[in-house]
Amino acid sequence: MELEDLKNTWGDVTNQVKNQQKLNPEMIEQMTRAKYHSRLKKIACPEIIGVIICMIGAGYIVLNFSKLAGIFLQAAGIISILLLLLMSAISLLSLPRFHMSRDMNRPYSETLKEFAVQKIRFHKFQKINLMLSYLLLVNTIILLSMFFSGKDLTGNKYFWIFSFSFGYIFLLFYSKWVSKYYNKTLRQAEDQLKELAS
Amino acid sequence: MNKKESFITAIKNNEGIIYKIASLYTNDVHDKDDLVQEIIYQLWKSFDSFDQRSALSTWMYRVSMNVAIYHLKISKRKVVTVPLDEQFSDLPEAVNPGWEEKMAVFRQHLNNLNLLDKGIVMLYLENKSYEEIAQITGISETNVGTRIFRIKEKLKNQITKQF
Repeated sequence: MELEDLKNTWGDVTNQVKNQQKLNPEMIEQMTRAKYHSRLKKIACPEIIGVIICMIGAGYIVLNFSKLAGIFLQAAGIISILLLLLMSAISLLSLPRFHMSRDMNRPYSETLKEFAVQKIRFHKFQKINLMLSYLLLVNTIILLSMFFSGKDLTGNKYFWIFSFSFGYIFLLFYSKWVSKYYNKTLRQAEDQLKELAS
Repeated sequence: MNKKESFITAIKNNEGIIYKIASLYTNDVHDKDDLVQEIIYQLWKSFDSFDQRSALSTWMYRVSMNVAIYHLKISKRKVVTVPLDEQFSDLPEAVNPGWEEKMAVFRQHLNNLNLLDKGIVMLYLENKSYEEIAQITGISETNVGTRIFRIKEKLKNQITKQF
């Protein structure tokens, strides 16, 4: 089927629509009221859940900070708290602003451009977060050993050998997979921007 | 005629635009109904910005297509919606079963196009001139022509590959 054939079928669809006009004034009026505005409640999205988890983690370290003896462990604790806060902030900053209050009267290509820019921004932030998560892993392992077994890493060598190895293997595969996905979507968004600019 | 009456008349005269856009940009009936509501709500909100320099239908296409993209992006991020009253849930496809099948044919052919090309094709199918398509999409008339040529080639290749 070519575009001209599609055009003929589209003509049939148009006639069908004309013959079955369904909206009445009362319906239209109801739809203009804010309470019938669909899409009112966004359910928690992964980024928000991530932020909550980071906050719980940071809170836990703050509450148990007194258990961290020595400058080395305290520094690890402070770095972990800062990383968790930073990652939360990045997650929130990267959230695409898909609000419907935008100017709907602008040209279609401008809206597409905005989405492409948002997508690029979102994925770049997520890549930064992924890199920070490596640092967080190191710090978390140091702290976990202290919090849960009461020993620092030097007295608990099996714990850190296993946790570092498994943690890094997991992060390595996870980040490869995520990067592949991000790179693909970033490329698509950049291509779209280039196309819109041409 | 007050603002609300003018708006209702405008919608009544052009409701086909809303239904066709909603059907082309969504894959299921509930999503479509949501989009129809959203388009009408946003048209109402933007009604004051309609300056009458362009045709009413041009303005409606522009707003409706923008809302459709927002809706598409938001529904990917899982959004719950507020349903209309029961009495208002009987939207067109329910009274004409052939409608949805025809729209499925269009979606099948147009889903491989990017959102800009999809919008351009829809306007082309609506017999809009290159000038109007340019006004609605915000790209130049020459670009519209080039894109339509490319889309025709793409669709031709798509069909050749299928058979």
